[in-house]
Amino acid sequence: MIKPTLVDQYLAIFLLLVVGVLFAAGSFVASATLGPKKKPSGAKVAPYECGIVPDKEPPSRFPVRFYLVAMIFIIFDIEIVFLYPFAVIFRQLGSFGLVEVLIFSVVVFVSLLYLVSTGALSWGPAKRLQSGMPSRTSESTITRITAEADGPSTHQAA
Amino acid sequence: MLHVAFLIPLFPLVGFVVLLTFGRRLGNPLAGWIGTIAVAGAFVATIITFAGLLGRPSNAREFTQSYFSWIPVGGLQVKWAVLVDPLSIFMCLFVTGVSMLIHLYSIGYMHEDRDYSKFFIYLNAFVFSMVLLVLANNLLVTFVGWEGVGVCSYWLVAFWFERDSAASAGKKAFMYNRIGDVGFLLAMFLIFSKVGSLNYLTIFSHTHLLGSATATAAVLLLFLAATGKSAQIPLFNWLPDAMEGPTPVSALIHAATMVTAGVYLLCRMNPILGLSSDGRWVIAIIGCATAFVAATIASSQHDIKKVLAFSTVSQIGYMVLAVGCGAYIAALFLMVCHAFYKGLLFLAAGSVIHGLEDEQELARMGALRKWLPWTFATFLVGWLAIAGIPPLAGFWSKGDVLANVYAKSFPLYVAGVITAFLTAYYMSRLFYLTFTGKARWQEAAGDQPAHHTPHESPWVMRIPLLVLAFCAFFGGVLDLPWTNRGLNNFLGPVFAGTLYHDNLSMTSQWVLLAIDGVIAVAGLAVAWVLWRVTASRPALTPAFLERVWYWDDFYDALIGRPGQAVARFSATVIDAKVIDGAVNGVASLVKSSSTGARRLQTGYVRNYALGIVLGLAAILVFMVSRTWWS
Amino acid sequence: MSALAVVTAHSTIVLPHIRYLAILPEIVMLGGAVLLLGIASLVRRPLRVTVSTVGTIVIAGTSLGLALWQWADISSHGPYTAIDHAVVVDGFSVLITITVACAMILSALVGDGYLRREGVDGCEFHVLAMVSATGAMFMGEANDLIIVFLGLEIMSIALYVLAAMNHRRAASGEAALKYFVLGGFSSAVFIYGVALTYGATGTTNLTQIADFLSHNVIASNGVLLAGLSLLLVGFLFKVAAVPFHMWTPDVYQGAPSPVTGFMAAVAKAGGFAALLRVFVSSFGTLQSDWRPILYAVAVITLLFGAGVALVQRDVKRVLAYSSINHAGFVLLGVEAATAQGVSASLYYLFTYTFMTIGAFAVVTLLGRRGDGHHDIASYRGLAGRQPLLALAFAVLLLAQAGAPFTTGFLAKFQVVDASVNAGSVPLAVIAMVSAAIAAFFYLRIGLIMYTPVAGKGFLPGIEPLDDDEANAGPSGESETDGTGDAAPAELSAGNGQRPVWSGTEGAVVVRTQLNAELLLDTAPGEVQVLDPSEDIVEADAVDDETAAESAAEDTAKVPVPALAALAIGLCVAVTVVFGVIPAPLIDFAHKATLLFIP
Repeated sequence: MIKPTLVDQYLAIFLLLVVGVLFAAGSFVASATLGPKKKPSGAKVAPYECGIVPDKEPPSRFPVRFYLVAMIFIIFDIEIVFLYPFAVIFRQLGSFGLVEVLIFSVVVFVSLLYLVSTGALSWGPAKRLQSGMPSRTSESTITRITAEADGPSTHQAA
Repeated sequence: MLHVAFLIPLFPLVGFVVLLTFGRRLGNPLAGWIGTIAVAGAFVATIITFAGLLGRPSNAREFTQSYFSWIPVGGLQVKWAVLVDPLSIFMCLFVTGVSMLIHLYSIGYMHEDRDYSKFFIYLNAFVFSMVLLVLANNLLVTFVGWEGVGVCSYWLVAFWFERDSAASAGKKAFMYNRIGDVGFLLAMFLIFSKVGSLNYLTIFSHTHLLGSATATAAVLLLFLAATGKSAQIPLFNWLPDAMEGPTPVSALIHAATMVTAGVYLLCRMNPILGLSSDGRWVIAIIGCATAFVAATIASSQHDIKKVLAFSTVSQIGYMVLAVGCGAYIAALFLMVCHAFYKGLLFLAAGSVIHGLEDEQELARMGALRKWLPWTFATFLVGWLAIAGIPPLAGFWSKGDVLANVYAKSFPLYVAGVITAFLTAYYMSRLFYLTFTGKARWQEAAGDQPAHHTPHESPWVMRIPLLVLAFCAFFGGVLDLPWTNRGLNNFLGPVFAGTLYHDNLSMTSQWVLLAIDGVIAVAGLAVAWVLWRVTASRPALTPAFLERVWYWDDFYDALIGRPGQAVARFSATVIDAKVIDGAVNGVASLVKSSSTGARRLQTGYVRNYALGIVLGLAAILVFMVSRTWWS
Repeated sequence: MSALAVVTAHSTIVLPHIRYLAILPEIVMLGGAVLLLGIASLVRRPLRVTVSTVGTIVIAGTSLGLALWQWADISSHGPYTAIDHAVVVDGFSVLITITVACAMILSALVGDGYLRREGVDGCEFHVLAMVSATGAMFMGEANDLIIVFLGLEIMSIALYVLAAMNHRRAASGEAALKYFVLGGFSSAVFIYGVALTYGATGTTNLTQIADFLSHNVIASNGVLLAGLSLLLVGFLFKVAAVPFHMWTPDVYQGAPSPVTGFMAAVAKAGGFAALLRVFVSSFGTLQSDWRPILYAVAVITLLFGAGVALVQRDVKRVLAYSSINHAGFVLLGVEAATAQGVSASLYYLFTYTFMTIGAFAVVTLLGRRGDGHHDIASYRGLAGRQPLLALAFAVLLLAQAGAPFTTGFLAKFQVVDASVNAGSVPLAVIAMVSAAIAAFFYLRIGLIMYTPVAGKGFLPGIEPLDDDEANAGPSGESETDGTGDAAPAELSAGNGQRPVWSGTEGAVVVRTQLNAELLLDTAPGEVQVLDPSEDIVEADAVDDETAAESAAEDTAKVPVPALAALAIGLCVAVTVVFGVIPAPLIDFAHKATLLFIP
């Protein structure tokens, strides 16, 4: 049996590093060699809007909620990742591991509960989330604009 | 039973806290009753402790109860603890007892006052401090109580601070006491530096560590403290001014209890006093001189409370004289009897003042025995007691002191006897001017209209008078010369080894007592002749005596004026130019460098991170330099 | 192939024996936080703050009780290590646990009023604070660098989020981001230090490091010293020592005031606990290497903290710099590297917790709705309006200045004493000089509170600053001399002092309009009216937009919620009572040090 030396232990990591660098470099090289060499024409770069030539910059608005849900997903996704190593050594860990994972799941579940309660996952017209914001009515907005027009423009709309 | 000792200070403390919190809401008279009950509780606790102490054999009546460690710094270990021994419990008994009576009296006396509840807050705080002073097992906690009673005295003297005279009298009392306190502190430092402890029992068992010169210095410093608190020469003239306070205050603080704290301190430190015969001579002479000087002044005053105030100074002079002679038990015997009859006299005088709507001038009194029968009767007892007429308390206690002084030094004894004569004389003068002769208050005098018919005080004020009159009459039984001498037996162990024994034969004691009696009667008789009808005899009240031997003028010229000049110089030249200049210079230097330093705080995270990196780099460079060096 | 063999060779996993009692306070705190999060999520929105506060006090109280039980346990049975020696239960760790639990209870009391006032109806503040407190407790209990790091991260990450808790304040967001970026940076530095230390000694266990260092003489200890330096930087960042302090003023100012108080107390307690344990006990043999560094850091921390605080106008910034100054004082005890120094530092940390939470509690109340009125000028005449509040603040400030008969004096006295006994006399002198400088700005706040609004110009040295500020004009100028540090406009914008509307007519229109809406809301008597978020926020908007009114509002009384009053009262009581009767606490800290196992 070969006695593992220090270098042996780190070899795998080193290998991973090399492969990672090679992959990143390879992607660049591949796209450069395989992609079309010609510069795209103006029409090709322009955004597509049902065949009509746009006369102003396209609005690029996504509801912030979209990102929020995506972030929440990532968190839970990563939590799932933790379950893999557990599954691998499930038998060695025995009941201790099971309890640990159960506690872990409870924590995750409670945070899900929290997210639901704050309305982070409720889709549709936002109500709860905006409870903290100053409620605006058409009247107050109009008054505000009037006032803004009157006063010097030192104020940036919040 | 001894374990209830902690309740003695706790009761007034709780009373104080309760009144401080809810006093105004409780109002009149509930606040007064709560204050009284708190002190009554302390009195009961004292009696229980006392009974417990009596249950022990006479040589084992010493008991320390620790609550918590206060200052544990290196060699200085100070605990909040009480030392229950015959001396402290004896003091506690009459302090809480008399306080209880005077609280009761105040309920009636103060009933019209705006700051009714505030009065009882102060009174309870006073009782707490006084009990603390007496019960403490070390000098520092005693000092806390000492300062506590001082500040309560200040508050109470200046209780009617809207009056200029009251406010300045409070300040005067405070200043004089501060001078004494310096003595206390220095004595404490001196003893600590030699013995390494402030605990009484430790000090007393290590007195050999004090050299004789050190002991004399410590005794004199302690005596300086006592002269401040107990109004002895040269610090005595705050006490008459302190009469600006309400009369119950004068009775409680400036007659019965606080002013005896100095005597208590000297008695408590008797093993140290025992080391210095020179120091004791100084104490004896000063005490005797104070007794005499104050008695002469008392003979010439026109204000009923001023007479009693100087009388108090004189009587405490007797106690100090006794302490100086080593007759501690005689001093304590006089102290308790004095508490009874002087408390009584002040309360009765308060009753007179109350009845005459705050009139204090003797010239505007007279013939009051018809209108104030209760007051008259009780005052009569007090008068005879202090004058030394047998068989009242004053006769026995003063006789005990004088017998000891006689055995110690004949000149001092002569001065003491003359003072005793003067005492009988001025007290009789006071009595005749107040209760006999013409009813001068019926006439208008100068711009002041005639008084209404005086009214007798309500029962809450009469009960304390009666109780105190009873005590003043029979107080002598505590320590009658031919009996087993109860007080001597009880207090003896505290003063073992330092007590002076006069070794007089029974016959000579009786002769001395007879002389005392004759002197007292002579004083009464002389006053009878001179003052029974006439209210004004300018020849007998010369300006020299009226102005207190020009003592205040002397201090004013010696200390007051130069002091003011120095203060003015310091304020206008030293402070305004030198100190402010330096301070402002430093301040502007700091400010300009700070303004520079704050520019570093740019608000940008990148710069902050740079700061961290630079700091880290500096540390690493330092480390690298170390590895190279080594 | 060989790597695979290594993995399969250890096919049985040896689990250490876990003594749950050793970490019970932490388990309760963390478990309680999770439980509370679940419960608060299930109850109705208006009840959440109440449930959180009550829950937090119960949980932190239980944790405190358990810590006291641990104290009794180790007093009779002696200290011990547990969980494969990764955790140590000794007087030191229990004292830190108690400190943190106390800080948690007090902050919960203060936070309750704040959340209601600001209309933040959630359990986030309480839950995050408890998580953060758990981290600090672990830092005190850690006997392994990995546990230290775990504690550090648990504590810090929760604090980053806490700083941004009130997401309606732009300043909070900025503060949190700064804190997060720099905190991440310092954590990286710290973990690198752990790695280097491991490389040099072959272990991360503190006891084993100490053993290793006492039994081996390393010829070339460059790696170890580098690791030590990096660890030191990680700690010094957390405790806000110069020059790693720069986040402090911005974060303290920007974070919601109750969070600031909590952060000041807990982050310091945790950071110093780990610093003391790692350096004094594990690296004790390397004293000659790290003591000079701490010496230098202490000197500049003391002087910088005290000096720069002088020229601040925002009370929270003043307190931030004062906390830097306090960190310098605690460093005195660390630098001494003696048992006395450790005891003094512990005493300092414990008492500072009460002083700082109390002070920030007052600042929270005086910040008014929107938490923006922190300019020193708005404190003028406070004593006339609310004498008790002013008195409490004055006492707490005096304590921080080190006035006698407060715990602050004893704390300073003890660290200076320890420093002198350790031979660092010049350092002690500098510390006292800095205390004298610091006394100025504490007294200045006190003086301003006790100066009537009408009576201007009571101190020539102070007036110019006020005048500057009065004429400072729009926020653009704050870049140079507005809020002290020439901080970017975003931060200074938070304090509501910028004159947004020069024409007041518009402001008045908005105000009346909003008032009308308020009235409309209340008219039908709906349940909504009870929901504090609605009306408070609208008033908040008024606050932000009509700075002209802030002057009038400055002279109005601020409401003092009962719980906040209780918290302030407790802080003042502890500060004064144990200042007058010092023995119990000094004994406590002293005994904690005696039970310290290296």
